[in-house]
Amino acid sequence: MGRAWLGILILLAGCAKPREVSFAMWTGDEARNRYFEEVVTPEVRAKYGLTLRIVPYGHTGEVVSKLITEKAAGKTSGSSVDVVWINGENFRAAKRAGVLWGPIEMPRLYPDEAYGKDFGTPIEGMETPWQSAQFVMAWDTARFAEPPRTVDGLVAWVKAHPGRFTYPAPPEFSGSVFTRHFLLAKGFDGGLAALREMKPYLWKQGETYPATIAELDRLFANNEIDFAMSYGPSFASERIERGTFPPTVRTFVFDSGTIGNYNYLAVPFNASDREAALTLIRDLTSRERLLDMAQKLGHTFPQKGPDPGLKRGVATLPMELLRERFLPEPDADELVRFEKAWRERVLLAR
Amino acid sequence: MVKWVVWLPVVFLLVRSLATRWFWPAVWPGEWSGRAWGAVRGEPVWNSLTLALAVMVGAVLIALLLVASFRKNAWVRWAVMTMALLPPLAASVGLHGAFLQLGLTDSWWGVALVHLIPATPYAVMAVAGSLSRFDEDLVAQARTLGAGRWAIWRYVKGPALAPGLATGAVFAFVVSWSQYVSTALIGGGRVVTLPMALVGYQQSGDEAVAAALSLVFLGAPVMLSVWVERGWES
Repeated sequence: MGRAWLGILILLAGCAKPREVSFAMWTGDEARNRYFEEVVTPEVRAKYGLTLRIVPYGHTGEVVSKLITEKAAGKTSGSSVDVVWINGENFRAAKRAGVLWGPIEMPRLYPDEAYGKDFGTPIEGMETPWQSAQFVMAWDTARFAEPPRTVDGLVAWVKAHPGRFTYPAPPEFSGSVFTRHFLLAKGFDGGLAALREMKPYLWKQGETYPATIAELDRLFANNEIDFAMSYGPSFASERIERGTFPPTVRTFVFDSGTIGNYNYLAVPFNASDREAALTLIRDLTSRERLLDMAQKLGHTFPQKGPDPGLKRGVATLPMELLRERFLPEPDADELVRFEKAWRERVLLAR
Repeated sequence: MVKWVVWLPVVFLLVRSLATRWFWPAVWPGEWSGRAWGAVRGEPVWNSLTLALAVMVGAVLIALLLVASFRKNAWVRWAVMTMALLPPLAASVGLHGAFLQLGLTDSWWGVALVHLIPATPYAVMAVAGSLSRFDEDLVAQARTLGAGRWAIWRYVKGPALAPGLATGAVFAFVVSWSQYVSTALIGGGRVVTLPMALVGYQQSGDEAVAAALSLVFLGAPVMLSVWVERGWES
């Protein structure tokens, strides 16, 4: 009897002040948003008594600049963000400005390359791997049976089909990683020369490029160009499901490999509740959570070990193939130099 | 005819929000789906609405107070107008620091305050406009007829200024309704408004959801202006 009362008291105390944990995430993907709302939030509440609050952002850079301002203003605790989804240049900026708390201790469930460098920035435990992304291209089997599977093959294809190919102009994320396959396959100058060679045969003679991946998707879906591309291996399956791509679309990668990276979770230096943040990270990076996300959202399963035999989307490549072809991102410095050179020697070239 | 054309984009957005598997060169969507409307959540709409209404009331009240001091001091006028000309990003980043020190960040109140900054000048312009056309002799005349302060406002000045106040209110509402950068920075992601929900989908190219949210986004200002216009006619 006494215990029951104590239990009720604790419950009441718990109700009076629910412990919150805030997760800053990019919210452009409706399926992911819904999963967080309908699955993660109730589970996190039931398992750990935490109320999950999603802090939505259009760009992760906004979170980083918010943290930098907070640091400058001396707000060292009580931030509205406990966990942030981050990688690449945002991580570099955040780490350099010292707005992350760490190192974070987590079991090493991911392949070793996930712990070393993030776009060339040494991680040193300041963020912990969450999901992975890999570059794939898509074509429509209703238009032609086989796509070119090498960089040289693609250049030849583009020259044979003027106006049917383009890519988002770097520094757009996907267009930028597309050009880096030329860098890796043909070297700095060779890669630029091949991109320059392709230019007059691109959509609109290469005089203009799509600014966003959404524009590229639209051109592809409207049959103005023959290839789409994305840093998400299941993007074509998602688009088919959503009804923006025809069901005959499939994806492919270059035989020489395709660039991949990991994205990470980090804790801001002024998080309101570090313990809650770590609890959330432990949940999000658990094998069960990642398997569930892979099953329900079609995401790749990023951790070590054999393929758990998940159901794949119709247009998604098998995990073994993607893993076999994995190429790490070049260092951020070289990446920036290549983007600059692309601008001078391809975009502005006459 | 002209009135009808105005609704064309709305019809297009409605079709776009419900259409799926709509490929070139099909003129009409192949399939329909309510998926996009499922993405419209209540919280952002509620936040946007309460903020815009509060900013509307606040801006009009401030405008009434400021307009009285205009006549004496041109500097006040300039200072107020500058607020409308500030580049939103620069202003918000600067204000973020100030608001942090005052402990106003990550809250509804902070966001309402920061929205007031771009909204107030518009309300001031509208109110000042109608006040400049107001004939002060009318007040003198009312006074000679024995009207008190309250009666002058109720029967003379109020009705004369009403159109200006209504225009100012609509402007203030719309300015607050469409804020993005300042909401994201000062609200710290805790105060989620419609534009914040919209931006993510626009960037990822989920046009159906973006269209559904755009319709909701369009709804409040359109209803407000229709309502104000009705008030005019009656």
